[in-house]
Amino acid sequence: MKFLTLSDDINFLRQINTLISGKGEFDSVLIGDGDPKGLGSGVLFRVKKDTPFDAISEGILKMSKDYDYMVIGSTEIGREIAGYLSFKTGFYTATEIFYLDINGQKVHTKRFFFGGKTVIEEESDAKIITVAPGVVEARDLGSTPQMKDLDVGQSRIRITKFTSKAGGSVRLEDAKVIVSVGRGIGSKENIAKVEPLAKALNGEIAGSRPVCMDYGWLSEDRQVGLSGKKVSPKVYIALGISGQIQHIAGMRNSKTVIAINKDKNAPIFQECDYGIVGDIFTVVPKILEQLKQ
Amino acid sequence: MVNVAVLIKQIIDIDQMKTDSEGKPILTGVPYRLENLSKNAIEAAVRIKEKQGGKVTGIIFGTEAGTSAMKESYAMGVDEGILITGYKGSNPQVTAKAILTYLRQIQFDIVILGDQSADSYTGMLPGLISAGLGIPLLGNANKIDIEGKVVRITQVGETENVEMEAEMPVVVSVTQEINEPRLPPVLQIMAAGRKPIRTEKFDGSFSKVSVLSNLAPKSERKRKVFEKVDEGVAEIVKVLKEEVR
Repeated sequence: MKFLTLSDDINFLRQINTLISGKGEFDSVLIGDGDPKGLGSGVLFRVKKDTPFDAISEGILKMSKDYDYMVIGSTEIGREIAGYLSFKTGFYTATEIFYLDINGQKVHTKRFFFGGKTVIEEESDAKIITVAPGVVEARDLGSTPQMKDLDVGQSRIRITKFTSKAGGSVRLEDAKVIVSVGRGIGSKENIAKVEPLAKALNGEIAGSRPVCMDYGWLSEDRQVGLSGKKVSPKVYIALGISGQIQHIAGMRNSKTVIAINKDKNAPIFQECDYGIVGDIFTVVPKILEQLKQ
Repeated sequence: MVNVAVLIKQIIDIDQMKTDSEGKPILTGVPYRLENLSKNAIEAAVRIKEKQGGKVTGIIFGTEAGTSAMKESYAMGVDEGILITGYKGSNPQVTAKAILTYLRQIQFDIVILGDQSADSYTGMLPGLISAGLGIPLLGNANKIDIEGKVVRITQVGETENVEMEAEMPVVVSVTQEINEPRLPPVLQIMAAGRKPIRTEKFDGSFSKVSVLSNLAPKSERKRKVFEKVDEGVAEIVKVLKEEVR
């Protein structure tokens, strides 16, 4: 079996390669820059970052016959390419999977459905697969690929400008501890009051969709949830997060979940290992104080 | 004049959906609603019409129940609607095929749709429709500008925003942040109820998928919840010291 893996993020590409390693040989496509050391692929096809998705898709189509499966990271451009390839090849596409097993001709996958309320387990003859971010921890796969340039096709899309988002590029997927805040934190200024907890635990600050997207108290790249990052830290501390299913879908793989919320009926208490019904600003300083002892 | 086709999805109200003791979704009695990003897509389409002139055509691939979603779309400013029935389950390739059949029959300069729907979340449709029509896709836009024949968007990426442009006809997929969908006034809602909906039947299925299960994920958390803060703090500090060391 031979795979072609693709992402526009080198770390995501490492995750995908880790996911499929042991299942067969693989080459990779990387859009943009990144250190290929230990990527494990036979060949790494490189594509300049400002290449439109359809030009990349056409480049992949030219060599798609060489591969049994195309496994693509679910980022914006990844999904666009997967949709394009899906139409052009007619291959069924298993999307947003977080579990993959291939036995014989059948592809066994799991993905969230109904906004994260259920998990659909499917068996299909998918040849294209999109992978949700953060479903496995990336490993060093030893070998470093041979580099080639992808022979891209034409496009009528002109990409004119890239703007980095505020907050830079935090890697929640790699964090061992995440302190995540929800609407219950109350204001942007209040986040500073719980940051010492993240610092004391060598963790990262993250937030729910309302905090990152609706109110903008944190940058978008710190959003955990179905439409944000899927994280799997050793410890996930949810502060003032009610526990909407869309949020749970992003942190379900955390090892230990700790929740602090004023509302004892908050659904997050059904999804935590340890919880305290109480005020964040009373509880967090107490935890910090005792941690230092 | 810019004519817009907007792709609309009707979903069950997933916030109201519950699962039974075995984890199976309980779908009977759960009301339908317009999918979240479809509302943003409709709003974006109607704003283009208001600024540039032209017509907005709504297309739904769903079931007979889709008439209510189409009426709501009319109330928001969609001029004409095609309801394609025959939806038998989530399969983006089938959805694309059904929609493409009718998209090819109408005149449009821009096709607008939501980037990823709130229920199935595949994110496949923008690429499928773009490839199917053979026209550029400007994906995940939080801003759309039209200048002559050129459509310019800002794409929300994972770590960067990307400005890109292409000449019409184009497909544009939108984010939730692009706009605040309008709440139509009562009079418009009443008028929308009387407007005709063109209904078509799509027959076709090439699903090669067997669903092994569709269940609520099991949570195996300890759920030790303390109402006495000090007890909770002591336990949590113990756990943190063990885990983080």
